[in-house]
Amino acid sequence: MAVTSDTLPTNRERVGTLAARISEPFVLVPILGWLVGALVAVLLEQFIGLPIARAFGMVRIPALFGILIFFEILSEIFVAFVELLQVPSMILMQLPDFLLFTLENLAKLPGVILYVLLIYILPISLVARLTVSPSNWVAGKLFNFRSWLSVLLHIALMYLILHIWTDVTDYRLLVARLILVSVIITLSLNVINGYMGEFSCSHPGFIALGAYGASVFTVGLFVNDNVLGTALLPETLARFMFPIGLILGGLIASLGAILVAIPSFNTRGDYLAIISLAFMFMVKSLFENLEVFGGPRGLGGQPDLATLPTVFFWTIVGIWIMNNFVRSTLGKALNAVRDGETAADAMTVNTRRTKFTAFLFGAFWAGVAGGLFAHVIRYVNPGTFGLQMLAEVLAMVYFGGLNSVQGSIVGATSIQLLGEALRPLEIYKWLVIPLLLIIVMIRRPTGLISFTKFDFTSLIKPKKEPGGEV
Amino acid sequence: MNKRTLLIITGLFLIGAFIVSGCAQAAQPAIVIGVNAPLTGDIPKVGEGSKFSAEMWLEDINAAGGLDVGGTKYPVEIVIEDNESKAESATKANTKLITQDEVLVIVGPQSSKQAVPAGGVANDNETPMVSPWSTNPNTTLDRPWVFRTPFLDPFQGPVIANFVTDEFGFSKAAVLYDVASDYPKGLAEFFKGAWEDVHGADSVVAYESFTTKDADFSAQLTKIRESGAEFIFTPQYYNEVALIAQQAHELGWDAPIVGSDSWGSAELMNLCGDDCKGQFFSTHYAAAGATGATKEFIDRYNEKHGYVPDDVGALTWDTMLIIQKAIQDCGTITGDIATDRACVRDALAQIKDFDGITGKMTFTEEGDPIKCAVIVQISDAGEFEFYQQVCP
Amino acid sequence: MSLEGFLQNIVNSLQLGSFYALIALGYSMVYGVLLLFNFAHGDIFMVGAYIGLFVATAILALVALTSIVLPGWLILVLTILAAMLLTSFVGITVERIGYRPLRNAPRASAAITGLMIGIILETGNLIILGAENYSFPALIETSTYQIAGVSITNKKIMIVVVALLLMLALHQFVQRTKWGMAMRATAYDFAVVPLMGVPLNQIAALTFALGSGLAASAGILFSLAYPVLSPYMGITFGWKAFVAAILGGRGSILGAAVAGFMLGFIEIFVAAFFPSTLRDLIAYSIILVILVFRPHGLFGEAYTAQLRL
Repeated sequence: MAVTSDTLPTNRERVGTLAARISEPFVLVPILGWLVGALVAVLLEQFIGLPIARAFGMVRIPALFGILIFFEILSEIFVAFVELLQVPSMILMQLPDFLLFTLENLAKLPGVILYVLLIYILPISLVARLTVSPSNWVAGKLFNFRSWLSVLLHIALMYLILHIWTDVTDYRLLVARLILVSVIITLSLNVINGYMGEFSCSHPGFIALGAYGASVFTVGLFVNDNVLGTALLPETLARFMFPIGLILGGLIASLGAILVAIPSFNTRGDYLAIISLAFMFMVKSLFENLEVFGGPRGLGGQPDLATLPTVFFWTIVGIWIMNNFVRSTLGKALNAVRDGETAADAMTVNTRRTKFTAFLFGAFWAGVAGGLFAHVIRYVNPGTFGLQMLAEVLAMVYFGGLNSVQGSIVGATSIQLLGEALRPLEIYKWLVIPLLLIIVMIRRPTGLISFTKFDFTSLIKPKKEPGGEV
Repeated sequence: MNKRTLLIITGLFLIGAFIVSGCAQAAQPAIVIGVNAPLTGDIPKVGEGSKFSAEMWLEDINAAGGLDVGGTKYPVEIVIEDNESKAESATKANTKLITQDEVLVIVGPQSSKQAVPAGGVANDNETPMVSPWSTNPNTTLDRPWVFRTPFLDPFQGPVIANFVTDEFGFSKAAVLYDVASDYPKGLAEFFKGAWEDVHGADSVVAYESFTTKDADFSAQLTKIRESGAEFIFTPQYYNEVALIAQQAHELGWDAPIVGSDSWGSAELMNLCGDDCKGQFFSTHYAAAGATGATKEFIDRYNEKHGYVPDDVGALTWDTMLIIQKAIQDCGTITGDIATDRACVRDALAQIKDFDGITGKMTFTEEGDPIKCAVIVQISDAGEFEFYQQVCP
Repeated sequence: MSLEGFLQNIVNSLQLGSFYALIALGYSMVYGVLLLFNFAHGDIFMVGAYIGLFVATAILALVALTSIVLPGWLILVLTILAAMLLTSFVGITVERIGYRPLRNAPRASAAITGLMIGIILETGNLIILGAENYSFPALIETSTYQIAGVSITNKKIMIVVVALLLMLALHQFVQRTKWGMAMRATAYDFAVVPLMGVPLNQIAALTFALGSGLAASAGILFSLAYPVLSPYMGITFGWKAFVAAILGGRGSILGAAVAGFMLGFIEIFVAAFFPSTLRDLIAYSIILVILVFRPHGLFGEAYTAQLRL
């Protein structure tokens, strides 16, 4: 067949076929297979990561998949370039030095890429590909035996991977915990801004209420502190009482949400936006004036309770409950209210009560996340919960995608990871992240993954071909 | 793509990897010093001052061919992390510096709202940290690994109260401060306490506040004007001082306005102009009429960056020198980071009568310096002139 | 509080309120016509102030160079006009990049792009101009008048008068011209009016241009009253003006102006009568209470945001 110009694939099609060709061998890999692959990868890193990193010219294991190093190299070259331009008369003299410097830095790149390939991409893809039949078999058996057991096993495997991955440095551990916390925050805001379709700005306030609620509980009860006095209970109890503190923080946040909800849900419109904004200012001002909780100096010395297992547990529970909430009848009513309040009302949906419940529910989880946040950082101060945090949580929700649990997970993870990975760019980071967000919003106005249903049980189903074994 | 292709690709990569591993060499571990500074966010100028001073110090070390410890010269590297002027970011930056970059010592963070949580991280990870700017007592409290180079609020508050009493003989004070920022609020409280100790209860006749980023202080200043106060004490940053002084004068205020070390920036006079001339404030060092090492530092900094360094620049410079001394006092660099960190911490705690450009320093058990404060007056030429020194 | 103090605070709040009102107008117009939150507006205000700074510095340099004698007020007028014009283009650009591609997207998405453009403007300023604060040149000599114990400066009078004049001009434009009518029509029905031949893109650009121009004038007046410019000066002020804009009622120019002045009064008088540490807490509680009783804002009518979602 003669190839004419109109039968040539367009660029988009080429990319499409390339993606299809790469993904083709992996179509049948179940989640279990990927998880086993990831487990192998993190184990590999744990045992031979350091010698390999050293061999490739790095001093230590790259913290975030080498992205950090990549941008470090870029920013080094950029800084050198700016310095070169500063003295125009010397450009020719300095040019060889600069080129040498650039080359030297670029020479570090292959090592990083090789490391990522060798430790992550190759093991994961190989294991995933090679274990297609056994992992499908195991996943199928498990799934047919007890699907809840299969779910638990998958979650346990995820935790194991995360645990081993974060074991390498404390930096990873901190980043991972903060990402998990922000997943809860993002999802809880998505319930209000996505599923309910309102524009609420009060989340930093709810997070603050939760953070202070839980901190006052734990610091007041279990720690000798110069702000809140001596401990009332032995510190060993703290671990068991921590959930109570978190729930308490969540309830306080819900209580605050009532204050916002009463005036704003009388009518539809954008009044929630400013009432919630005013609420946020009020909460910040309140904690600045509450001298008993440290005022603007903040409250520190929270016991180290938000360990990785704790945070992971709460994140899973949070995702599970919030996902069930939005898929329940109430959640459907919520979507109906968003799409047409009058119509929903006519269909016997009690719109006011629905909105109230959802708003309080979102606030509760923001409060829980706040409690976790306070115990991860082990310090809270009112200044943290301001406009900057508002911009960040809004960005995570809308970047990830409205009305979608997966979207919230993706949004929170990617914005948090980006924030860390772009550290070497210093101030330019705050040009790159907003630009990226604008591009995403223009290309996909409702976010990366929006309006989806999240069903973990069907995700972990084995992916067998209808014809039988592969 | 089938299994065979995959295997072949894997094989090729493995071979490639081993070839590369043969050629590449891991970098020599040098002495790495972390700087945790607010380069973006509310106070970028403070971060810039610290960054410039640290870089100047590094230039000196590099020019000398490395840091001389026990006869061996070690190359020094500085890792600067931006904490975006946020508490959680400062915690992350410190964790990264400690566990990822494996720094020997951390310099920073500057403001207390970052230094308090970051100090906790440094202490838990047994890494020495020296804050060049934080004045909140909690930064170093019960933290053997955390030090600082500025004096504390509980010292500065009484210094100013006593100075005003002796100099002007006033008995009625007004305080105007930012309620949302820990430094002004802390200092305002300590000043109020000290003033009331001298002049009795209710001698602070107006105790007014505003919120960070406010630009209009007219309501508070009107209240102060009505209260019959004889002077205003405002422990604010220089950009707010300019607005406060100007608005006070527009409201007909002509009594003195007294400030604290946060006034000490070259920008103050650019922003404030005539409204600040003749006023007094307490600080770490007087730039005008400085001599010796201080003058040398100021001139160098001024030449390189085009302005007289703020107090944070001078304090960071002192911090870098103290760290240098501690590392050198240590005698050896073993290469085992935990041992070296412990050694540097012990050396820091031992430092006595360190002669810095912001005064002589000796660390207390808490890691706070015992040092003198300086009262400066802003001259008609806009320079910060030495007026008197107050020692503890 | 004495009578003098009370009167003094009225003068104080008139000045503060002028800024809130001018910025709130920009928010209110975009919100009224396109039903969008323009969260970049606070930063456009900042850009306007900086543009004003450069224009004023340039004119002063030119005057010094050519030794033409220009009175201060003329330089000020020129600065305001030039900055308003230049900032309008900034506003149009922001609309073109951040809002037009998202006109049919959920409104909140456009709000996010606005927020991000704001961050870019702040960071860009920080990168280009560095971390210094800039001081705005005193174009007119300050003279203070003492009237019955109340201090009034000529600047304060000028600021309030110029702000009121600008609001009046805007009101006339919207009520009396064909373009103004088109804007009102778009605000009335966003979906149908473009079908009647009203060019929506031009109306949107015009709305942003007018709002940004007002923000620029607010920026310059602000810099005269509070002559310290920083890249982050627009954030808090912008969000507060946003509160005023929505409080005024949708699409109501009068409402936004009144709400802006009201916010100034509330902030000043809360600080004056209560302990000033509690200012934000009390001031925003008052706004919450107002909204409970006037859920559609001061001058707004009931409407639904449905058609834009």
